[in-house]
Amino acid sequence: MISLKSKYKKLFVGVLTIALVSCSNPWEDRQNNGDANLSVNLSEVITKKTEVSKFGALVVQTGYDKILSESKSYTVFAPTNEAMDQVDPAKLSTPEALSLFVANHIALTAYSSIRTQASIKIKMLSGKYLEFKGNTLISDATIVTADQYAKNGVYHIINKALTPKLNIWQYINSQVNSSLMSKYLISLKELNIYKADSIAKSTAIPGAMSDSLTNSYLRNVYNLNNEKNSYTLFLMENDGYTAEVDKLKPYLTTPKADFTTTLTSYFTIRDMAFPKAYLPNEIPSVLTSRFGVNVTIDKTQIIGEPIILSNGIIYRIKKVIVPLVDRLVTTKIEGEKNSSFLPTNLRSKIFYRDKQDPLGINYNDIMVQNPGVSLFTLNYNSGNLYSTTYKVYWRAINDVQTNVFQQRLRIGGVVQADGTIKDVIKLFDYTDVAVGVYNEVYLGDFTLEQAGNIDLISLIAANTTTNGNNSLTLDYLKFVPVIK
Amino acid sequence: MITTIRTKIKNSTVVGLWLMTIVVSLHSCQDYLDVQPQDKLSGDQVYRNIYDADAAVVGIYGKFMGLAEKYVILNEMRADLMTTTRNSSPYLKEISEHNVSANNPYANPKDYYEVILNCNDVLKNFDIMLANKKFTQAQYNQRYADIGALRSWVYLQLGIQYGNVPYITDPIENLDDVKNSSKYPRIPFDQLLDKLLTFTTTLTYTSPYDSANTLNINVDGYNTAKFFVNKECLLGDLNLWKGNYNEAAKHYKTVMETSTNSGTDTERYDNYRIKYAEVATNNDFAVGYVRYSEQDARSLINNNTQGWRSMFARSRDVLWNTEWIWSLPFDSKFSPKNPFIDIFSNRSGLYLAKPSQQAISLWNNNKQRNGFPYDARGQKFSYTVIDGDEVIMKYLYKFLNPVTLNPADAFQTGGDWFLYRAAKLHLRYAEAANRDNKHKIADAILNFGIKAAYDVPGTIDVTNIQKTKDAFPYDFDARQGDFPFYRGNWYRGTGIRGRAYLERAPVVGDSLISIENNIINEDALELAYEGNRWEDLVRVALRRKNPAFLADKVYDKLNKEGNSQASSVRTKLMNVNNWYLPFTWQ
Repeated sequence: MISLKSKYKKLFVGVLTIALVSCSNPWEDRQNNGDANLSVNLSEVITKKTEVSKFGALVVQTGYDKILSESKSYTVFAPTNEAMDQVDPAKLSTPEALSLFVANHIALTAYSSIRTQASIKIKMLSGKYLEFKGNTLISDATIVTADQYAKNGVYHIINKALTPKLNIWQYINSQVNSSLMSKYLISLKELNIYKADSIAKSTAIPGAMSDSLTNSYLRNVYNLNNEKNSYTLFLMENDGYTAEVDKLKPYLTTPKADFTTTLTSYFTIRDMAFPKAYLPNEIPSVLTSRFGVNVTIDKTQIIGEPIILSNGIIYRIKKVIVPLVDRLVTTKIEGEKNSSFLPTNLRSKIFYRDKQDPLGINYNDIMVQNPGVSLFTLNYNSGNLYSTTYKVYWRAINDVQTNVFQQRLRIGGVVQADGTIKDVIKLFDYTDVAVGVYNEVYLGDFTLEQAGNIDLISLIAANTTTNGNNSLTLDYLKFVPVIK
Repeated sequence: MITTIRTKIKNSTVVGLWLMTIVVSLHSCQDYLDVQPQDKLSGDQVYRNIYDADAAVVGIYGKFMGLAEKYVILNEMRADLMTTTRNSSPYLKEISEHNVSANNPYANPKDYYEVILNCNDVLKNFDIMLANKKFTQAQYNQRYADIGALRSWVYLQLGIQYGNVPYITDPIENLDDVKNSSKYPRIPFDQLLDKLLTFTTTLTYTSPYDSANTLNINVDGYNTAKFFVNKECLLGDLNLWKGNYNEAAKHYKTVMETSTNSGTDTERYDNYRIKYAEVATNNDFAVGYVRYSEQDARSLINNNTQGWRSMFARSRDVLWNTEWIWSLPFDSKFSPKNPFIDIFSNRSGLYLAKPSQQAISLWNNNKQRNGFPYDARGQKFSYTVIDGDEVIMKYLYKFLNPVTLNPADAFQTGGDWFLYRAAKLHLRYAEAANRDNKHKIADAILNFGIKAAYDVPGTIDVTNIQKTKDAFPYDFDARQGDFPFYRGNWYRGTGIRGRAYLERAPVVGDSLISIENNIINEDALELAYEGNRWEDLVRVALRRKNPAFLADKVYDKLNKEGNSQASSVRTKLMNVNNWYLPFTWQ
C-alpha cells in the first residue's frame, strides 16, 4: 500500500515537473535583460532629467515629445540648462522658431559618439545638416555627456544650444533692402537669363528639385538654398558691385537696355559662388568658377568676420575685381558635338574618332571622308557670346589622308525656305587642312554687334565630288573674345 | 478480502497507467521519427541505377556552383585588376590589401571541402555501383572521370589560394575532421600538384560526355554539354603548373582540335580556333566596327548579339559553342542564386568590386588597328561607366537592359560563371609552347594567328607555307589558297590580338621572357574578371622564382589608387609564404 502510494507520488511529481517546465516561457522573457534604460523612451528621459529640464520643457511645448516617444530611433543633442540660458530669446519668439529650434537638436536614427568615420554630416529634423566631428563635437557645441540611451535612441548632453542658422539663400533674402547684389539675386526669381529658365519656372513641380528651378541663379550657377551641400559666396558691397557690372556692359549689348543690365549683372556674379565652404585661411589665391573664370580674392577687402551659415559661408567684401581678359571666357566648340549635318542621309560618312596625338594626348574629333558629294556640312551652335570681336581658331587634324584638302567656316545665318542662307555674320575663305598638323590654325575674326547665341555655325567641305578633296575634319573651334 | 481486491484493482490500474504512458510515449515517438521525408532521399533510395548516378553528378555541380563567388573574388581581388569600392566590406579590403584576418569569410576553405567530400562520397558509391553491376564500365568511366576531374580542379584552386592543404580522397562523414591535421596532414602545393597529376592522369576517359550520354540534355532551357569540367584543359593546367610544358601543350592542343574531324565546315573551322572577324555581318566574337566606318568610334559593334561583347551575353547557340568550353548558368528559375549581380551592379546590386586604375591603364596602353588609343575590350566591354561608377560588365550583360543599362527585370537574375573558353585555352597553350621553346608559335597564337605568322606575302601557291610543319602538339595547317585550293583547319584563326583588333605586341629582348610577359598581359586584357588573374601571377612568379613579378603588380594596383599600404604590401608579397591565405576553418 505504501509502496503504491509512493509510486503515485513519483508519477505526480514527474507530471508536475513537466507542467512547470513547460510553463516557463522564454519568449516572454527575451526582452527583460535587467536594463532599466530600455524600458523608457527618449521623451520620458529628457523631460525628467533635471540637467536638461529647460530643453525638456521646450520639447513638450513644441509637441516633439510625441515624436520622441515613437518607436523609431532618434538622436537628441540636449543642451544643458546653462546653455539654454545663453540662447537669444528672439530665436524662440514665435511657435515656428521654437519648433525649428527643437527640431535642430534631433536626428532620425541613432548616432553614437563612437563611429568609424572621423566626421559625418547628419541631417536634423529641421532639414539642416550639422557636422558630427570626432566623438565630442557637434557643430560648434561640445558633448559633455555622451551616449546616454533609452529604448528608442541615444542622447548626448551638450554645452551649447544648436540654434538653427539661416542658409545662404535665406541670408541673402534678409539683405535685399541694403545690398544691391542680394536684391539682384532675388530678382532673378522673375528675370530670366536664358529661354530655358522661363520654361523651367513655368513647369517646376513644387517639391523635389523645385527651388533650384524657381530662380535663374539657383538654376544656372549653384542652388544656394540646398542644405546638403556647402558653398562660399562673396557678397560685394554696392559700389564695388556696380563698378564691376558697368565694366562688363559694352560686351553684353542687347537691343533692350534693361536686359543688358540684367545680363551684365548675371555674368558678373555668376563667378562669385563656389561649391565648397572656405574658411578664411582656406581661400586659395585663385579660385576658378564653374564657368572657367579665374577669380583672385583680395582678402584685405573682406569686411568683418565671415558669416557662417547652415550650408556654407558668405564673405562681405568691398569689391572683387576680375580683369576682362579673365572674365570674358573663350568659347570652345568640340568637333564631335555637331548638332546636325547635311546631306542628312550620309551619317555613315561621318566618323567620330577617338585618337591620340604624337605627344600621346588623347582627343576626340570628327572626320567626314569619301562622302561622294560636294559641300558636306557639319552644323554647330553656341551660346553666351559677347558683343565684341572674336578671333577664330580651329584644330583640324588631317592624319589618315596623304593629300591636303580644304574646308571653310560660316558663322551665323538663317536658312530660308528655298535653302539659301541669309544674314550670315561671316563666311571665311576656304582654308587648307595640311597633313599631320596638330596645332591650332588662326582663321580670322568676326564681330558680334549683340551678345547672345549663334544658332548656326557650319563647317563646309570643298565644292567638289572628288573623294579625298571633299573631306572634313575638326577637333575643335575656338572663339577668343577681343578686349575693346 | 475487500482490501485485497481493492489493492489488486489499484495495483493493476497503476501498472496499466504506467504501461500506457510508456507505450504511448514510445509508440508515438517511433511513429513520429519513422515518417519518410517527402523532399529528401534516404540511403536506400540512391545509387540504384544510371539515373541516380546522373543525379549525383548534377548534385555535385549544383554544390560546386556555390564556389563561384569565392573563385572570382579570391582570384581577382587579390590580384591587380579588381579593387574595392566605397561599398566594400572590411573583409574585401583585407583581401585586396593582403591582410586577411582569421575570421574573414572569403578565406574560409570549408566550402571547397564540402564539394570535395561530396565528390569523394560519390566516387566511392560509383565504385560500389560498378561492383554491383548497377551500370556499365563505360558509363562508370565517364562519370567517375568527370567527378574525379572536378575534385582535382577544386584541389588546384585550394593549392593556389592556401598553399598547404590536406589532400583527402576517401569519404569522411564529418566535415570538421578536415581540420584535424594529425589525421589529414597538410601538404605543400608542389606535392599537391604531384598527387593531382597522378590521380587525374589515371582517369581513363578524358573527353566530354558523348552526345548520346544521358547527362547531355536540355534542361530549364539550357544545354548541359558545357556544364562539365573539361578534363583535357585541367590536365593541361596541372602540367603547366608543374612545368611539364610539352605535356601541357599536348592536352591543350587536343582541346583545340576538338572539332577537327567534324563533317561540318563551320564546326571544323570555327570551334576553339579564335576565328577572324566577319566584317560584313559582325556575327563573330571580334572587336569590330560597322564595315567602312572603322574610323567611327560610335560604329563599334557593341551589343548582345554581335561582336566580342556578345560572348558574355548570348544564349548557348552555335556561335557560343565555338568559344565556350566550360560555363555554368545562373538563373532565377533554379538555385543557387547568382552572386555576381550583388558584387558588380551599382544599380541593382551592392557594387562591391570595380576595375582598378591599373587594369584601366593596361587597356588604355594598347592601340587598336584603326589608331584608337585603347583596347575596346576594356572601356567598352569589360567595364563601363554607369552613374559615374566604373562597373564590371561581363557578368551583367544578361541582367541589364543593353541600351539603358538598367536592370531589365530585377527578379530575372540570370548570368553565368565563366570557367573556360577558347581564348583562355589559346593563351595557356601559347604559355606552354613558349616555355617549350616554340616561341614563334606562341607569338603567332597571341598575335595574329598561324596563317599570318607563316605567310610569305604575294605567294599564290601556299602548298608549303602558312603551316608550321611541326609534329603534334605544334602541328598547324592554316593554309588558305585557291590555286591550288587549300583550306587548312586553322585558316580562319586570327590570334587573340587579331580578334581584338589590336596592333601586335612587340617582342623586346629575350624572346622567352618577352613573349611570356606579353601572354600574361594579354590574359589580363582578354580574361579580366573571369577569375584567372591571381593564379596567372602566382604561376609565372613561381616558375621564374621571382616574387617581384607578382608583388610589383599588386603594388601598382594599390599605388595607383593612392593606397598607403602599397609599399608594405609589396614587401610582404616578396615572401612567397605570404601569398597564401590562412587555412582557418570556420
